[in-house]
Parts: sequence; C-alpha cells; structure tokens
Amino acid sequence: MAKEIIDGITMQRALTRITYEIIERNKGIDNLVLVGIKTRGVFIAHRIESRLKQLEGITVPVAELDITAFRDDQETNQEKSALDIDLTDKNVILVDDVLYTGRTIRAAMDAIIYSGRPKKISLAVLVDRGHRELPIRADFVGKNIPTSRKEKINVSMSEIDGEDKIEID
Amino acid sequence: MKRYLVLEDGFTLEGDSLGAPTIAAGQLVISNNLYGLEQTITDATYNGQIIAMTAPAIGASGIDPNEYEAINPTCKGIIFNSVALTSDNEHNQSLDDFLVSKDIPAITNIDVRALALHIQEFGQLKASISDTDDEHAIDQIKALVIQRDLVKQVSTRQPYPNPNSGKKIVIIDLGMKYSILRQLSYRDCNSIVVPYNYSVKEIEELNPDGIIISNGPGDPVNLGDTIETVQELQDKFPIFGIGLGHLVIALANNCQTIKMTLGHHSTSYPVKEIASGKIEYTNHNHIYAISDRGIKDAHFIVTHICPTDGTIEGIRHMYKPTISVQFDPEAAPGAQDMTYLFDEFLDMISSYERI
Repeated sequence: MAKEIIDGITMQRALTRITYEIIERNKGIDNLVLVGIKTRGVFIAHRIESRLKQLEGITVPVAELDITAFRDDQETNQEKSALDIDLTDKNVILVDDVLYTGRTIRAAMDAIIYSGRPKKISLAVLVDRGHRELPIRADFVGKNIPTSRKEKINVSMSEIDGEDKIEID
Repeated sequence: MKRYLVLEDGFTLEGDSLGAPTIAAGQLVISNNLYGLEQTITDATYNGQIIAMTAPAIGASGIDPNEYEAINPTCKGIIFNSVALTSDNEHNQSLDDFLVSKDIPAITNIDVRALALHIQEFGQLKASISDTDDEHAIDQIKALVIQRDLVKQVSTRQPYPNPNSGKKIVIIDLGMKYSILRQLSYRDCNSIVVPYNYSVKEIEELNPDGIIISNGPGDPVNLGDTIETVQELQDKFPIFGIGLGHLVIALANNCQTIKMTLGHHSTSYPVKEIASGKIEYTNHNHIYAISDRGIKDAHFIVTHICPTDGTIEGIRHMYKPTISVQFDPEAAPGAQDMTYLFDEFLDMISSYERI
C-alpha cells in the first residue's frame, strides 16, 4: 500500500532550498539553463525557475528534454534530436524527480552533449533513493530517501497529478 | 493603590498597582500578544523594557514555570488593560505573587487603546511606572538614558552544554530564549551555549557543525565584539541568525540597521517567503530592522518580508552558508509555522558538509 512520506509543503520547501543552493554554488544565475527531464523533471525545473525569478528578477531559460532516443535499455526507432536551445558554454542544471540507477541521467547527459558543449552540467533531483548502477551523483538533493529495490517511489505534482506529494509503495 | 504610567513626552495614564510596589523606567513597547504571558514576561528580548499588553483582557494569568523562556525575567514592568487576578490553575503561581517575587511592577486598568494610539502617532518612547504623574516624574523619565549593555546583562556568564547525540550547534547567547534550545533538542542537536563575547578561537575549539546567533535585547550597533566574531565565523561555519542575531549578521556584512517607528511585537505577524510567495504567521518581537540599502552589495538575498509594512524579515547569503531571520521561528509564544527553519538550518549544514 502506498504511504505518503513527503507532503506538499515539505516538497515545496525542498525546492526552495535547492533554488538557494543553485544561486549559492553558481555565484549567481547569469549563465544558467535549466533542463528538465520529461515529465516531472520539467515541472520541477519550472518551479525552480519561478523561484529564481522571484528572488533575483531574472528569467532563466528552461528546456524540456525527452530522453527516449538515448536510452540504453530498449531499442527505439525514435530519431535522436538536439534541444532547440543553444547550450554552448552554458551552465546547465539537469533536473529530474527521482535519482535511482543513474541510467536516465546518463541518457540525459548524452542528449545534452548531442545538443552542444555546455561549460558545466550539474544535477538537481527532488529525491535520491540510492541504488546507483553508474558513477553518478546529484549536486542538489531535495530529500535523501533510503529505499529497498523492491519499493517504488511515486512523485505526484499538482500540475499533472492534482497534488504535491511523494509516496512509497 | 493608584499608580501612573508616565511617558517622556508628558503623556500620562492612571491605573491600579499590581506586582512589586517599586518604581521602574525603560523603553515602552506595545505588545499585541493575546496569550503566552509567561513566555512574554520571561523573554530576555524585553530586557530593560516596559511591556504594554494591548489585549483587552488577559484572562488566563496563572504563571506556569514550565513555560519560562529565561529563569529570571528582566523586563522592567508590565501594563495591562485588565487582567484576571486569580490563577486559572491552582498549581500555577498567581501573576501578582510572581511579579512580587521577581520584583517587577505592573499597572492594570490602564486605557491601553489610548496608549497604543499615542505610540502610533509619536513612535518609540521611554516610560516609567511611578507613584506620581507630576512634572518631576516627567523630567526624570526624560533624563533616562537607555543602557547600552543590555546584552551583557542577560547573556550567560559561563558556557554550558545541552548534550545530545546529533549535530553540534554552538549558540552565541545574546539573550537566548530557551525555546531555541528546545527546538534543537527536538532535533537531537548537541548544543553548547556560549557568552556573547566568546572568542572565535574558543568557538573553533568546540568544533561546531553550525552556529546560531540568538535573539536578544537592544540596539545591535552596541555589539562590536560579537559583530567582529561573526565576520570571522561566517567564512568557516554555517550560521543561523535569529532576532538580534539577524541584525548582528547584517552589520557584520556592512549592512545598516534602522530603528522602526512602529516595532513588531505580536504572536502572529504575517511573513511572506519571497521564493514561493507563501504567507506564514510567526512570533515577532523587534523594534530594529535591516535597512534595504546595501543589501545587494553585501550579497544577501532577501528571503522573507513582512507584507504589511515591507520590513525585511529574512536574508540569506548568496555564497556563504548563512541564513537569518528577524522573527522568532521558535515561536513561544505564538504560531509555530516557521519552526521548520531549524530543519532548514540542519539541512544546510548537511549540504555544506557534502561539498
């Protein structure tokens, strides 16, 4: 049975904290591009963008990334395509909801590098649940939630699921 | 017995004596607290001040020793509109007995609405609780000089620990409310409270994970030593400022502080978090605030403001692990919406350790 482990308020506070840390660690946000991994990573990226705008008055570009063509676990006919945004020499923050094996992030990095040569790529995730299969680690973590492989983490966001919450199943 | 509240501009009000029959003088502050009388009276931020409670009636006036924010209250006096004289709970001490034992005078049956209107019009004033309201009493309060060592009076003389097994937090005591320690205890913090003039070297020897600069009384510009200490510490440790500690952090970064025309003294004042636009309610107790001039140059982000008058209520350093708030996140008394800031501070320490 699904059990709610993080409620909407806690989720929003975690996103606010990630926003502060992004400003802190990048010494400002001038050269920043947020790249959200579809589906929920995009909403998280937009929420971080709106917080940055409230705090700093600057609109940071947000790109939506579909990694299907870059996955390593299934054959696909989908054509690899570049993002419609120039990432050359940009400071890219890759945004996703859950960090698990790291394979999604590897595919996303492939997609980003296929699109251009950014100066730096950092990773922001709402939840880090462990069990990496690749040498990848997040720079900005909302919540560390230790899990077993049998468990499932479900992130709900009000934009698509009607409410903000994180459940463990 | 009749007693008088005498303001420095000659405004006087008559009421009935309560508590100690002594004469007292100090800065007058208007508090909108409706409850939490013990916590209000024992809050060291009120050191040297006369508190006027605007609540029409304080009904539950028994003093519960479990609700103290300091063992010995240091406010100069208290003004009530009306107050119940018998305790609501037979185990509690009555307000009158408590005030007599702590040597604090009070006046009840004062027209507090008239007083609050007067303060709204004329701003911060000194006042005395006196047996007469003649010229002499007015001259005396006019001549009163507000003490500059209010923090020294209430800060701990010796460092002391509040041991536990979690993160080690050093609290620089400028007049700390016990609820700060309480909030840290809920989170298993291994806390050590140190005096306001503890040196950087001594603090470093304690090897803290993070440092809290506490709330306290008076004008932050009088705290030169503490300001210098904070200047050095903020490059080495995560720092969390509360109340007076928040102003000290601002001064340590060459920002300016101002004395407000109308202070914030209430258990539920609104605070807006800029990043999310959310409004939360929390306990405020301050007559000084940070001026918005120089905030950007000092690399601070304004994180919280008061939506009613635009006062800066929270800041965060852009590059250093420093957060600070003007209000009391520990509540006591008041709304507990912001106690999560202690979690934020501990999270900040964790992410600072990961870098």
